[in-house]
Amino acid sequence: MNEHPFEPEYPVDSLTAGVAGGELSGESSIVMEATTLDGVVAKKRLGPLFWICVGWLALNVLGAIFANVLPLKNPYFEDYSVVNAGPGWHHVFGTDDLGRDIFSRVVYGARVSIAAGLGSMVIGFAVGMPLGMLAAYRRGRFDGVTTTVMYVLLAFPAIIATIGVLSFWTPRNLIKIIIVIGIASIPLVYRVVRAATLAVASKDYVLAAKVQGATDRRILMKELLPNIAPVAVSFLVIGIATVITLEGALAFLGLSVNAPTPSWGNMINESRTDLAQNPWLALFPALAMCLFLLCLNFIGDRLRSHYDVAEVKL
Amino acid sequence: MSEPLLVVRDLCTTFATPTGRLRAVDGVSFDLGANETLGIVGESGSGKTVLSRTIMGLQPRTNVEVSGSVRLGGFEVVGASETAKRSIWGTEVAMVFQDPMTSLNPVVRIGNQITESLRVRLGMSRAEAKARAIELLELVGIPSAAERFRAYPGQLSGGMRQRVVIAIALSCSPSLLLADEPTTGLDVTIQAQILNLLDELKQRLAMSVILVTHDLGVVATRTSRIVVMYAGRVVETGTTRDVFYDHRMPYTRALLESSPKVSNPSHTRLAAIAGRPPNLTELGAGCAFAPRCAYASDRCRAERPELTAAGDGHTYACWHPLAPRGAPS
Repeated sequence: MNEHPFEPEYPVDSLTAGVAGGELSGESSIVMEATTLDGVVAKKRLGPLFWICVGWLALNVLGAIFANVLPLKNPYFEDYSVVNAGPGWHHVFGTDDLGRDIFSRVVYGARVSIAAGLGSMVIGFAVGMPLGMLAAYRRGRFDGVTTTVMYVLLAFPAIIATIGVLSFWTPRNLIKIIIVIGIASIPLVYRVVRAATLAVASKDYVLAAKVQGATDRRILMKELLPNIAPVAVSFLVIGIATVITLEGALAFLGLSVNAPTPSWGNMINESRTDLAQNPWLALFPALAMCLFLLCLNFIGDRLRSHYDVAEVKL
Repeated sequence: MSEPLLVVRDLCTTFATPTGRLRAVDGVSFDLGANETLGIVGESGSGKTVLSRTIMGLQPRTNVEVSGSVRLGGFEVVGASETAKRSIWGTEVAMVFQDPMTSLNPVVRIGNQITESLRVRLGMSRAEAKARAIELLELVGIPSAAERFRAYPGQLSGGMRQRVVIAIALSCSPSLLLADEPTTGLDVTIQAQILNLLDELKQRLAMSVILVTHDLGVVATRTSRIVVMYAGRVVETGTTRDVFYDHRMPYTRALLESSPKVSNPSHTRLAAIAGRPPNLTELGAGCAFAPRCAYASDRCRAERPELTAAGDGHTYACWHPLAPRGAPS
């Protein structure tokens, strides 16, 4: 360094002398601030439990997708010779009061539960996420109007709204359930995404991208989206879990898919009458749901702390 | 005769706040030629940052009113649409921000942050952009640039990050670089490196630089001209030599005296400026500095001094200017 910024007298004459060098600062000045690449990258691990959970979810999803290809018993076949049987060789999880195989009904039931969870979250994110990001980025009147609308929707208890709509919108099927829960989830997604975007949108790097000539669209996609993605993904995962619970609750009230289509919630509902004679009937779908939700929540939580980049690395 | 690169005339930026109209920038005029460095100096709240953002054409979407003129290479920034301004952002004028910790996207590799504007603005292919980005990283003095290309901002130190920020700003070869307190967030030793780097780059790339700072030590050796701001107005402008050795405005002297000097004996009391900068919503008729000024008279409190010429390109706004001093030999 040839000049010190706090020199006693300001050597105006070195105005010309100081820059005469022309060549760049050189190695000596750079070494002081150089951070070596090795040693910095101490990668955080997600841990084996995370991967076990991912594996379990994958198994469930694959099972649900390929249920009719897998060598499963017909979940609708009523075998009156083995009614209310406990777990055994022929029926791994036992049979229900109509002699249907519980194992294959649990596997088929995953279809409804997972489809409801994923489907309604897709709707919620498809609408709530762009709205939330735009509102937080643009602010002003657009933000004011959307936020007010969303808060009005939020003020209305979602479960009562869903029950109300589903009671009258008959015949019920999976698509309708997905639509209703999906719409109910929009304001929740909106609120989370908007809050996350607000925190990012005021950062200097967004302004920096803007003054490099980036369009609003590029700023939303390249600067904001990657920064809110971790929050969005963990909310997505936890949202799916919440919807599966909600579907279970609706099924228990008889408002989910119509019998005989199995869903985890439906099966728990059907088991009510025979709970004393055949606890297996409630146990296995409840266990399947619990494990699935546990894994989802664990993954969501793990992801959130893992991708908390902003705080940890800066 | 061709127009200077940047011509600012009677620029005013007014914010509508709940407590009244706030003139953050009030009637600022100056010129900046090609390959010149201009220092804008003033206390916190003197309107430096708002001025630099107004020159860029960066305003909040609401509650702000800009009048006057900013001509940048023949382009009128005031009143231009976002789309029109976007065409000069990056290519004509670029900005380096105060805090390198927040001016890089933490989740994008630095290489991609540089290639982004190269590809979008200059239409380079992926390979071209990468080669150019590595060149830029080398230009701003980042060792083993090819390896760092894949680093995340979190893996770099503050000084390194500021170098990357500068590389991004330079990516589309702007003719004017606006550096808003580029070294405030850095260690003193790194500050000098970054300032020297800016200086060298200015020479090499033949661009103009506006250096906004509250630290006179920063501008002392690196600017050709200085604009001293107080309460949104220009109170003195001149060549760096004039401002340091022949200042007329008592505020400029107070500012100079409030810089610590290494030559002073230890435990010397630092000459601070008494009081605070005024609240810009309730400025009176007189000189804004009058309440804090040792030389203030009734006239200062009643009537606002206009900029007065004191020689070639040297102007000041004061009713009681300090006596001219000869520059030291």
